[in-house]
Amino acid sequence: MNFEAIIGLEIHVEMKTKSKMFSASPNSFSRDPNTEVTVLDMAYPGAMPRPNKQAVINAIRVANALHMTIDQDVYFDRKNYFYADLPKGFQITQQFRPIGSHGYLDVLDKEGNTKRIKIERIHMEEDTCKQLHFADYSLLDYNRAGVPLIEIVSEPDIRSGTEAMHYVEAIRNIVVYSQTSDGKMEEGSLRCDVNISLRPYGSNKFGTKVEIKNINSLKNIEQALDYEIQRQSACILSGIPIQQETRRFDEASGKTVLMRVKTDAVDYKYFCEPNIAPIHLSDEFVKNAIDTCPELYDAKKERYLKAGLSDKDAEIILSNIDMAAYFEKAIEGAKSVKTVANFLIVEVNGYLNKQGCPITEFPLQAKDLTEISNMQEDGFTHKQCADIFNYCLENEGTSPADAKAALKIEKQISDDGAVLEFVTAVLDANPQSIEDFKAGKDRAIGFLIGQVMKMAKGKVNPAAVAKVMNIEIRKR
Amino acid sequence: MSYLDLTIAEIHRALLEKKVTPLELTKEALERAKANKENAFETICEKEALEFAATLTEPEEDNLLWGIPYVAKDNFSTKGIETTASSNILNGYVPLFDATVIKKLREKKAILIAKTTLDELAMGGSGTTGHKGITYNPYDPEHKHQIGGSSCGSAVCVAAGIVPFALGSDTGDSVRKPASYGGLVGMKPTWGRISRYGLFPFAPSLDHVAYFTRSAEDSAIVLQALAGRDEYDSTSSFKPVEDYSSKLGESLKGKRIAVIQEILDSISNKELLDAFRKSVEAMKAAGACVDYVHFPLDLLKSIYATYIVISSAEATSNNANLDGIKFGPFRGGKTYQEVMFNARTQGFSELIKRRFVIGSFALMSENQQELFIRAQRNRAKIVEATNNILKEYDAILAPASPKTAPVLGSSSSDKLSNEYLIADNFMAIGNFAGLPSVTVPLTFIDGLPIGVNFTSKAFDEAGLFSIIQAYEDITGLKGISTNVRKEAKL
Repeated sequence: MNFEAIIGLEIHVEMKTKSKMFSASPNSFSRDPNTEVTVLDMAYPGAMPRPNKQAVINAIRVANALHMTIDQDVYFDRKNYFYADLPKGFQITQQFRPIGSHGYLDVLDKEGNTKRIKIERIHMEEDTCKQLHFADYSLLDYNRAGVPLIEIVSEPDIRSGTEAMHYVEAIRNIVVYSQTSDGKMEEGSLRCDVNISLRPYGSNKFGTKVEIKNINSLKNIEQALDYEIQRQSACILSGIPIQQETRRFDEASGKTVLMRVKTDAVDYKYFCEPNIAPIHLSDEFVKNAIDTCPELYDAKKERYLKAGLSDKDAEIILSNIDMAAYFEKAIEGAKSVKTVANFLIVEVNGYLNKQGCPITEFPLQAKDLTEISNMQEDGFTHKQCADIFNYCLENEGTSPADAKAALKIEKQISDDGAVLEFVTAVLDANPQSIEDFKAGKDRAIGFLIGQVMKMAKGKVNPAAVAKVMNIEIRKR
Repeated sequence: MSYLDLTIAEIHRALLEKKVTPLELTKEALERAKANKENAFETICEKEALEFAATLTEPEEDNLLWGIPYVAKDNFSTKGIETTASSNILNGYVPLFDATVIKKLREKKAILIAKTTLDELAMGGSGTTGHKGITYNPYDPEHKHQIGGSSCGSAVCVAAGIVPFALGSDTGDSVRKPASYGGLVGMKPTWGRISRYGLFPFAPSLDHVAYFTRSAEDSAIVLQALAGRDEYDSTSSFKPVEDYSSKLGESLKGKRIAVIQEILDSISNKELLDAFRKSVEAMKAAGACVDYVHFPLDLLKSIYATYIVISSAEATSNNANLDGIKFGPFRGGKTYQEVMFNARTQGFSELIKRRFVIGSFALMSENQQELFIRAQRNRAKIVEATNNILKEYDAILAPASPKTAPVLGSSSSDKLSNEYLIADNFMAIGNFAGLPSVTVPLTFIDGLPIGVNFTSKAFDEAGLFSIIQAYEDITGLKGISTNVRKEAKL
């Protein structure tokens, strides 16, 4: 590679507040078109904006998680332009005084080293309405008009598709775990626009910037940028100038495709929104917003690792906030966090995958999983506990204790003295196997353990048998 | 003469004594409205008014607005009643909600009998630019004179005794100027004192709900009903509402009044200046301390330019919602650009387009510093100079206009003269600073009224009412309407 990629990201996050950014209209995404609309959302003359308190709280929480300076005087501005999806003819945003500025995030770069990405700003604004285009007409759905957004703008500190992907992933984790947003890229509740230019290594100048809009998955961020770096390198090397243009990522071909060449930038004629009185946030308000922020991804992960989970297991659980919430409940009163995690990752996930349902529809309560995990800690085998688990699923409403009784599951003998009796009897009855073992046939010991299990009708603990057998056989 | 020519307080007594009923008052107001020749109405709400009036049978002793008919400028949102702001772009627009002031007056059981004409979208000062044409001055039956604007129709209704009070809006002087030309008390309280929710925005940082009455006492009564915090207008003040009649009846003794010399200097009309000086002497005789003070001339001369830049900039943004897509006449088009272009090209008059061009130009990034930001800074300087005077005075006094109502069609005065730049435009100071500011009649010149303007400290409306009530005693023009004047041969 001859060139250094200079990448900056703009991320829009739809907040899942109860009402919209500046109106009392509900904000629930799931209704029929144009049913969640008030006079402000359709810009009826005389309607006035009222800032959403929860949106401000969310923005403070995210700003704090991104190590930003919080502006305790909240101002809004107007961004003026005409467009079919913009009911008022302007968008209310925070151009001049964003609620957060000068932050950073540490992410892993391509080589796996920690790298600090500076973040320029986070600000609040409102979404536009949704357009549906048909052959000779278009429809407008104002349900989305006025949905609260936060926009997070990075400095051009990112150097590769991998870094960009890790950065977006980290931001997604923050907005999801602070319960600001559901952060679903594929559904558009987290939208990512990328600016990228190349320059020769060692150069201080910036090359021509290309924008890639609306990339809809983490993987596509990496792919789109990797492709774009290649494309631009090839252009430069063959003397084709890079145009200032907007592109989109085509998932099928794995390529970026030209949308439009940028002409003169639009002049948005920003000015301070005169219909919203500036709001001063007290120290107490800001502190309270931060203190009451739900536990974030990184803090949870650290806690899970301390409790003995592997990095991979922690990430699997945290990959889904509902799964993490279920896990949190299940580890209350659990004797081993790790055992709960194993059940969740293997048995519960197995069931969910098979049924194709989300964890929120999983029939067993978290406390049932706690109880089943604790049974394993109390000496029942994993197999026995898994049988109980399955019985509970097949007979909905059955408690793990009742399932155990119904399956007549009893605890295996693991007491060394009791096990020794069986082992001695089996060794006495199988001298040939002892000879084989001494001749170096390791398989013989497996046969002997099997004989013990058979004799004890499965009621002894195989691990205890193996331990005693290993000692006793050597005494012969 | 009828009860409608009396003040609110007087009509209230008649209602309590059951000498007249709300229904009778409403019927008469509607008759007068329909007989009126000044082109003051967008919509007469006959059916709604009569229905509501018929329900009002038990007088409410403490509610001075009970059963009182009123009108509202057609830029207040009224649920179920077409509201056009006198612009073709809003023809047929029927709002889904009531402005807070409309709601409050309804709760007080005041009866809305009509929506009145205005300069298109409240942008203008002549009362001639609405989509229904010129609104005339009722003091001139020959219709040669303006009533002024933009709240022209509301001014006509109070001046002609159709109703005792009317809602208007005031962004530069849109209530206080027509009050001068119509012999009325035109009041604009502190910015944030009355909720603007439901008032079609022109320039929100300057917009005020304002209103006309025919007496100082009525002005206090109406503010009492309109004032207060409204959660729907985040710029409305949390300051508790005081008793606005509490200082009525106080004498002028010890009141400190400042007259800005530079404003007087810019006025050429001798009769006006004489009448003004006589009233000042009478105020002094009543115990007021009146000083002639100075205001930087350059700042005074810059008011109009500052106003045009700021108000046009805000206006171009506020009216960007009028695009023919959501409401108002749809004029077709193959693309969204064409739809907007057609709606706006056909919906706005040339005057409005000119303001939008000015506003847009002032906001363009290459001009914003030189025009919009500079105008904001100048606004701050004007506000500071004004507040400095009010640190030492209870009110600033000046003639509300340099002349009586202008003759229609006459070429407007020299727009670069001091008289135009200062005396005709200084009242925007009250909007820049958001201060309480009120016009009250001074005298009649050649049969046409003219008023003076008092501006006081923020939230000192009660003090202002006491001053203008004492001033009414000096002029003897309390309760004046065209009918009263005809009968009394004033």
